Amino acid sequence: MFEQFQFIPLHYNLILQGLQLTLEITLFGVFLGLAVGIILAVGDLYGNKFTKGILAVYVEFFRGSPLFIQLFLAEYTVPTITHIPIDPYITAFLVFGLNSAAYQKGYIKGAMETVYDDQMAAGLSTGMSRIQTLRHVIIPQALRIVIPSWTNEFCSLTKSSSVVAYVGLFDLVGAGREIIGQTYNVLPVWLFVGLIYLVWITGFTKVMDVIYDKKKIPGVDLLMQ
Amino acid sequence: MDVGQEIIFLLGGVPLTLSISIISFLIGIAIGLPLAFTRVYEKEVSFIVDAYEKIFRGVPEIVLMLMFFFGLGLYFPFPFNNAFFVAAFVLGLRSGANQSQIYRGAIRGVGDEQMIAGQSVGFSKWRAIWHIMMPQVFTFSTPGLGSEYALLIKDSSYVWVIGGLAEIMTRSVWLKNVPPYDVITPYVFAAILYIALTFPVAFWLDRWGNKRKKNIGL
Amino acid sequence: MTDIVMEAKNVYKNYGKTEVVKNVSLQIRKGDIKLVFGPSGSGKSTFLRCMAMLTMPDKGEIYLGEECLTKPGVDLNKARARIGFVFQHIYLFRHLTAFGNVELALRQVLKLPKEQARERTLAALKEVKVFDCINKYPAQMSGGQAQRVGIARALARNPDIILLDEPTSALDPELTGEVIDTLRDLANEGTTMLIVSHEMPFAREVAEEMIFYDEGTILETGTPEHFFNAPDSDRAKKFMTRIIYKTTRE
Repeated sequence: MFEQFQFIPLHYNLILQGLQLTLEITLFGVFLGLAVGIILAVGDLYGNKFTKGILAVYVEFFRGSPLFIQLFLAEYTVPTITHIPIDPYITAFLVFGLNSAAYQKGYIKGAMETVYDDQMAAGLSTGMSRIQTLRHVIIPQALRIVIPSWTNEFCSLTKSSSVVAYVGLFDLVGAGREIIGQTYNVLPVWLFVGLIYLVWITGFTKVMDVIYDKKKIPGVDLLMQ
Repeated sequence: MDVGQEIIFLLGGVPLTLSISIISFLIGIAIGLPLAFTRVYEKEVSFIVDAYEKIFRGVPEIVLMLMFFFGLGLYFPFPFNNAFFVAAFVLGLRSGANQSQIYRGAIRGVGDEQMIAGQSVGFSKWRAIWHIMMPQVFTFSTPGLGSEYALLIKDSSYVWVIGGLAEIMTRSVWLKNVPPYDVITPYVFAAILYIALTFPVAFWLDRWGNKRKKNIGL
Repeated sequence: MTDIVMEAKNVYKNYGKTEVVKNVSLQIRKGDIKLVFGPSGSGKSTFLRCMAMLTMPDKGEIYLGEECLTKPGVDLNKARARIGFVFQHIYLFRHLTAFGNVELALRQVLKLPKEQARERTLAALKEVKVFDCINKYPAQMSGGQAQRVGIARALARNPDIILLDEPTSALDPELTGEVIDTLRDLANEGTTMLIVSHEMPFAREVAEEMIFYDEGTILETGTPEHFFNAPDSDRAKKFMTRIIYKTTRE
């Protein structure tokens, strides 16, 4: 039985390589999603009907269709239409970032709306402009409120990142397929790959919980409870 | 094939997509409800529920499908050689974990007082759960369930990875690989199709839930 | 140079279908301490917010010194920087300490350099006597401490006038004392104040003029003695009896 797991020491470099891409996609996706998500949330709060309409289409597209389709559209359909050659890696990173943004916009906007009325009044009363109040008062509080949802996004992105193996990128699942191709050892390899994902996600969640606990500001972070 | 034929071909995948989603949703209810109530009301065994949720939160569905179909499928061809079974099974288990969380939140939302009131009129713990908590829990869960259903429709596309099931995703890839090697229509239309399947249900479920909430005084 | 600090002229404001501010006019001179009181829901808070231009009046004019704030094209932010506002529900910036709450506007609005802002912040906090809360977050303070920080935040910019919207109403009774003491100190120093409140003992002691506001309009004005002894209108009489009865019972 144990000889089936011999692939681990033999091919650990492939696994590490795949894991690296998985992590890169996840981190890039979360942060790009955050940056774009804030812009989308502010746009939705202040935009006119036209802006809100476009935002609604954007969100509905990324939240309503499978990631697989989004990825294929980006990697195959868009280059065919625009005749611009694309880098599969950059495209994948962008798709994950834009996808995550669609979800994060919802969290951020919800958080902003929770604090908006009273904190905007308070900010204006001190002579700050709307923009200043947004920047120094509302968004800082909103970001603290949504930190728990980052942990969620991170886990979700790590799991979804597995689809990039099917557009030719070498992530953890891609590494698994490669190893199976060489050793014909199917079940143990997938068990091991699954275990890596599990350990990584569970561990990361635990660490994030501890960090969050230490850094939270009393009175702000409990708002969403 | 022209565009019209391609569209019709893709539409042919809808029944299978829907079947996978609905069946895994039902499996999810069957697993999620008991798990949620157990977690809230029988604290000693709650670690089992936690472990279950952690597993399905931590392992990608694709890996699970590959593991079951190509891995277990070697040793247990029935039922793991069947793509439909594996897809519905994996998604059902995952949905059970998600729904367990949704119902847990709903139970907290309904509130302990309802449970205490039920026991005060003579119901045992589990009868109170059945008669008093469950109906209210469903009303509270509608937004979460709406998004869970949408998630299942989208994740049914993962079954393409194990092949052999002609639902929407598989069909769209198939169209890309046969003449005229169209990469535009299949994916664009597939996207529209999926959105058409996810949007209305989530939307109406939300409204139905809000109306019921108003009626029962929330 | 007039010594009218703020003036409201024929202000109207609706909330939906209800007219909560009906043709209200008011003048505040430098050093005045005026107290607006009346039944709940009569529109006093809305009127106060209109004066601070936190809510836009539907009709009428608001003047800060010589400048008309209700004209289009006015820089409201600059104007609001000269007005200090204290909220009923305090509205401190939750993510900042007491120090941060007071310092923020000094750096962002008055654009003071760090050291100067720091000095003024510390001075303001000392003046309202919450120096020991300086590094605490709002959730860690009592209501009374938080509201005093709110007053410090309004004071720190040296505004022309301070508007207070029921500063003690949301506090537990034991905590109102500390806030009232602070307001009394401010009054004694000659700060121009317009207060909406129903703290009658405070009104009697500190206010120079009391304004009875009922159902959207100013019904009657007078000194505290006038109201406590012999109000003119029936409604004022009724209100004073109820309020005094309530206060003496406590």
